[in-house]
Amino acid sequence: MQRTDSSGPGDIVLRCRDIERSFGGLKALKAVNLEIRKGEILGLVGPNGSGKTTMVNVITGFYPPERGTVTLFGENITRKRPHAIAARRMARTFQNLALFRGLSVLDNILLGRHVHMRPSAIATLFYWVWALREETRHRRVVEEIIDFMQLQDIRNEPVEVVPLGLQKRVELARALAAEPKLLVLDEPMAGMNQEEKEYITRFILDARDERDVSILLIEHHMDVVTAICDRMQVLSYGETIAEGKPREAIADPRVISAYLGQRAAKRQAGAGAAA
Amino acid sequence: MLYRQAGIRHRRYAAERQLWPLTFDRVLVGGVVLFLLAAPFTLDRLYLGSYLLPWLLWSSAALGLNLLMGGAGQIHLGYGAVMAIGAYTSVHLVRSGIPFELALVLAGMTSAALGIVFGAAALRVKGLYLAMSTLAMQYIIDFTISHVPGISGGTQASLQVPRVTLLGMPVTGEVTPYYVALGLCAVITLFMLNVGRTSFGRALAAIREKDYAAEIIGVGTFKYKLLAFWVSSFIGGVVGAVLAVCYLRIVTPDQFHLDLSIQLVAMVIVGGLGSVLGSFFGAALILFAPIFFNNAIGTLATQFGLGISTDLRSHIPLMLYGALIILFLLVEPLGLAKIYDNVRKYFLVWPFRHVRK
Repeated sequence: MQRTDSSGPGDIVLRCRDIERSFGGLKALKAVNLEIRKGEILGLVGPNGSGKTTMVNVITGFYPPERGTVTLFGENITRKRPHAIAARRMARTFQNLALFRGLSVLDNILLGRHVHMRPSAIATLFYWVWALREETRHRRVVEEIIDFMQLQDIRNEPVEVVPLGLQKRVELARALAAEPKLLVLDEPMAGMNQEEKEYITRFILDARDERDVSILLIEHHMDVVTAICDRMQVLSYGETIAEGKPREAIADPRVISAYLGQRAAKRQAGAGAAA
Repeated sequence: MLYRQAGIRHRRYAAERQLWPLTFDRVLVGGVVLFLLAAPFTLDRLYLGSYLLPWLLWSSAALGLNLLMGGAGQIHLGYGAVMAIGAYTSVHLVRSGIPFELALVLAGMTSAALGIVFGAAALRVKGLYLAMSTLAMQYIIDFTISHVPGISGGTQASLQVPRVTLLGMPVTGEVTPYYVALGLCAVITLFMLNVGRTSFGRALAAIREKDYAAEIIGVGTFKYKLLAFWVSSFIGGVVGAVLAVCYLRIVTPDQFHLDLSIQLVAMVIVGGLGSVLGSFFGAALILFAPIFFNNAIGTLATQFGLGISTDLRSHIPLMLYGALIILFLLVEPLGLAKIYDNVRKYFLVWPFRHVRK
C-alpha cells in the first residue's frame, strides 16, 4: 500500500535543517543537517560527546532546538511535544533502557500500541462491553510482534527480571508495536555480547524489510554500522564531518582523526599514498 | 493443593485476561459477595451499621486514592478534603430539593473540578513537593468550609442530612444505606480491577514509572496526570457524598480533617500500593485494629484484674496499633495484599516450592 503512493526511492521521511542547540556555554549542535529517506537505515555515529543523543532528543521533541527546523513527512514538528510526535508515527528506543518496571513484558509492549488506542475511564468501567474488543484487537497485533521478536516465553514475566539483552529486545518490540514509519534507535546494542548483537542486527534488518520502517541508528559498534547502514553521517563536536556510504565515510581522514587523533589520520593517509 | 494453574489452557485472549482465572478464586470471590449481600439478614444490625458499612465506605475511598497513588504514582495528602467537597456539595444540593441521584453525580463533578485545580501542581512538582501542595489543599478546603457559614451550616457548624431516596427507595434505617454503600463499593472495585487490564490503566502506570518514556510512546503526561486527579477526585467526591448520607447523617467540618486524609494514605500504603484487595485489607486494619486492641486490653485488664492505670490503659492500644503497622511493613513492604499473595503463591505450587515469593 505504502509503495504505491507517489513515492520514489528518494522520498524524504525526516529532514532536519540547521539544527542548533546549546547547553549553557556548550554548543552541542552547530547547524546540523540530516535527512532520512524512505526505507533506508541511516547510521549516526561520532565519538563520545559529539551530539548524537542531543540530535535524537531534538528530533523526538525532548529538547526543542534553538534554531532550525525538523520536518517529518513534510510536516513541521519542531516544537511539538514528544507524545505529539509519537502520534505522527515516530518511535524510539533509549540508550539506557526506558521500560516500565512493575509491568509485564506483554503490558510494556501493549503500551506501545497506545497511539492507536482510545483509553478512557468510562471504557475501563464498562470493560466487558466497551474495552474488551479493542484490547483483544490490539493484543493480536502485539502477539504478532512478540512472535516477530521471539519473546513468546517471557511475555508474562515482569520486565525487570528479564536479562538485559532481552530487555533491549522488549524495548525494540514496544517501539515496533506502534507501527512506526520512522524508528530511532539510540545505541540498541550497548552492553551486548556478540550473539545478542547479531540477534538485534537481524531484527533491525527484518523490521526494515518487513515492516516498512525507515531507521535512524545511533551505534558505537562500527562493525554493525558499516554492515547494515545504507548511509552514514559522522558527527564531531556538534558538526557533521562526513556523510555518505559507510565504507567511504569511515575512511574519511577527518573521521579517522576525530576517532583516533591527528597522527593516526596522517599515518593512514601516508599508507594510502604509498599503496 | 486447593488450586492449580497447570492444565488451564486459554483459547481466547479475553479468557486469559479475565479477572479470576482460577476456579478457587472465583468461588472465594463469589462467597464473599454472597456474604456481603446476605449480611443484613444474618448479621446483627450493630455490626452491620458500625463495622461493615464504614469498612465498605473507607475501602471505596482508599480505592479512589489508590488509583492516584498506586496507579499513577501521585501522592495526595488532601483526599479527606476531596471527600469533604463531595459531602458538602451533595448535602447542600439534597437540602435544596435536588434528587439524590443527581446530587451524587454533581458532588463527584465538583470534587473533580476542584481536585484537578490542586492536582495541576502535579504537572510541575513531584514526590514531597506534591505532598506539600496537596496538603495545602487540605488546609485551604478545611478553612473555607469552617469559615464560610453558608457551607458549614452556620453557628452550629453542622448540617443535618435530610431524608433522601435513591431510585425510589428511602435511604433510612440500616439496611438501605448498607446496600447503597455496597453498590458503590462494587462499582468502584470493578472499575479498579479493570484499570489493571486496559489501556487507561497502562497509560497511568507509564507516567508512574517513567514519564519521559511515557511521552515517547505517545502518552501525554499533562493529560494523564490531570485525568488521574480527575477520576480519583470524582470517586472521592461520590464516596464523600454517600458517606454523608448513609453513615454520618450529620455533617461537620472536623469529620474531614487531615486525620481522615492520613488515615486513607495509611490504608493505601499498609494495604499495598496499586492493589485492589490491599485497599480492603488496609481499610480493615486501620479502622478496626484500634478497636480490637482497645477491647482486648480492656478484657485482659478486667479478666486478670491487672492494675493498669487508666492513662496506660488508653495508650497501650495505640502503641500496639502503631507497632502492628510497622511490623506488617517490615515483614512485607509491599503491603498486606502482598502477604496474602505470598501465601497464595505458596499453596499454588504446594508441596513443591519453586516459586517462593
